[in-house]
Amino acid sequence: MEKITTLAEAVASVPSGSHVALSGFPITRCAMAFAREVIRQGIKGLTLSQCVGAMDADMLVGAGAVERLIYGGGSLDRFGRLNCVNRGIEDGSLQAEEYSSLSVTFRYLAGSLGMPFIPIRSLQGSDLIRRIQEHTGSDVANITDPFTGENWLVLKPLLPDVSVLVVHTADAEGNAWIMGPRWDNVEQAKASKRTIIIAEHVVSTEVIRQHAERTVIPGLLVSHVVEMPFAAHPTSVYREYDYDAKEIEKYVKATSTPESFKAYLDEYVYGVKDHWEYLEKMGGMKHLNALKADPILGY
Amino acid sequence: MDLTYTASELMAAAGAREIKDREIVAVGLGLPVVASFLAKQTHAPNMTMLFELGVIDSEPVHAGVGLADPRVWYRAKVLSSFVDILGSILHKGRVDVGFLGGLETDQYGNLNTSLIGDLHGKFRHMVGSGGANDIASSAKRNILIMRHDERKLKKTISFVTSPGYMTGGDSRAKAGLSGGPSRVITDKAIFGFHPETKQMMVISIHPGNTIEDVLGTMGFTPIIPKHVPFTEPPEKDQLRLIREVIDPGKMYMG
Repeated sequence: MEKITTLAEAVASVPSGSHVALSGFPITRCAMAFAREVIRQGIKGLTLSQCVGAMDADMLVGAGAVERLIYGGGSLDRFGRLNCVNRGIEDGSLQAEEYSSLSVTFRYLAGSLGMPFIPIRSLQGSDLIRRIQEHTGSDVANITDPFTGENWLVLKPLLPDVSVLVVHTADAEGNAWIMGPRWDNVEQAKASKRTIIIAEHVVSTEVIRQHAERTVIPGLLVSHVVEMPFAAHPTSVYREYDYDAKEIEKYVKATSTPESFKAYLDEYVYGVKDHWEYLEKMGGMKHLNALKADPILGY
Repeated sequence: MDLTYTASELMAAAGAREIKDREIVAVGLGLPVVASFLAKQTHAPNMTMLFELGVIDSEPVHAGVGLADPRVWYRAKVLSSFVDILGSILHKGRVDVGFLGGLETDQYGNLNTSLIGDLHGKFRHMVGSGGANDIASSAKRNILIMRHDERKLKKTISFVTSPGYMTGGDSRAKAGLSGGPSRVITDKAIFGFHPETKQMMVISIHPGNTIEDVLGTMGFTPIIPKHVPFTEPPEKDQLRLIREVIDPGKMYMG
């Protein structure tokens, strides 16, 4: 099956109302080009999940594409908070189910292994678990360990419809390499029904075979492969390009009110035809080249 | 070299002293990073530093804006995943020390990083847990670092993101959790916890402060032992490392 496709086609395969797991971690390897295309295509009512809320989720929430967010808290690191997510929580327009990083990861892990539930020590005695029980009593429960008699909190698996991962390198089958830390990405892909790979580089399977130990996502999990440089811009991709501090600052300022964020979306999302036009608007090759990572430092 | 020091430098030095050599430490961002690197470069060269997203023992040469900044991952020995760090190291029970900052804490060391205000009324949502709740739940002990302020050291906090000793006594153990906070380091004092009641207890006061300064700027009254020493000031070598090696750009020390 031919999996190599355009971003527009890959995004069109995600129906409104889907549960999407996103690969971003605050300001790195965020599925930004994907988020912008979802907004352009008018896909709505999404459930998003990720172990730490990141810029990709925040943009989708701010654009009104999200009904429900399952996450472990999040920020844009020192650049600021997730203004759109926070506003949605404060005014009640977003159904946010807030866990810790490990509990979201364990929910993916249970999903990835086909397990019915997973015990965890986290969350107990916190207001997080009280809130989760108030909102979605059915995703957490208590059981007695049949071997020791101990009481354990157990979590229901997360089974996203699709995970969307920005990766470094993949082949046409979707066998994918992620350089640097992978946070929850591998468990996300394995827990999901299918995965969309957005790769900085698409290479031949022969290249993958030469260093197969780097393959963390097997192609059999993948439905679409999109080759798309700077797909995480303005966030970073380790060993490829640094975050674009000025553009993240612009985003943080724009998200401070719904009105200013609407203007931001009009200019940088609706105002461009596709990712290539977006990159031109950012300053094209000259600007992007300045963000390229030093091969030793990785940023 | 100037041997006068800032409150942040003293907090970092005091935090570093809490770490023993060969310990495994899970580190949150900000002052805990400075304290951990300081310990590693002085008396604890064999400690292991973990960052939740999958980073072990990095050696940054540039200060990062957060854990998502590849500057913080530079020269790591391991780059892996949440399951690897928070799962098979932390949840497995191998982490000796968790090092956390926060918005608010109470007399039992419960920590809020989620929101300010009234959850059922008007509130501002801030960050949430990240790995903080996981670390507070599973590390053998936790060190909290925060500014000494009535708005941060409160009788009742807005939200318990990460449990300390909950409502005191054996309530934490009853919830199925071992460990708990061992120290709270502020810019005025260092606190511990009473072995039975689990109430916060003054351990030492930073030079230049009186007990009135400490008590007058917090929302609850901690246990005050008869003899309260002054906190050891940072040593010359600690100050040099903080200023010249760990945080020359004053990214963390403000």
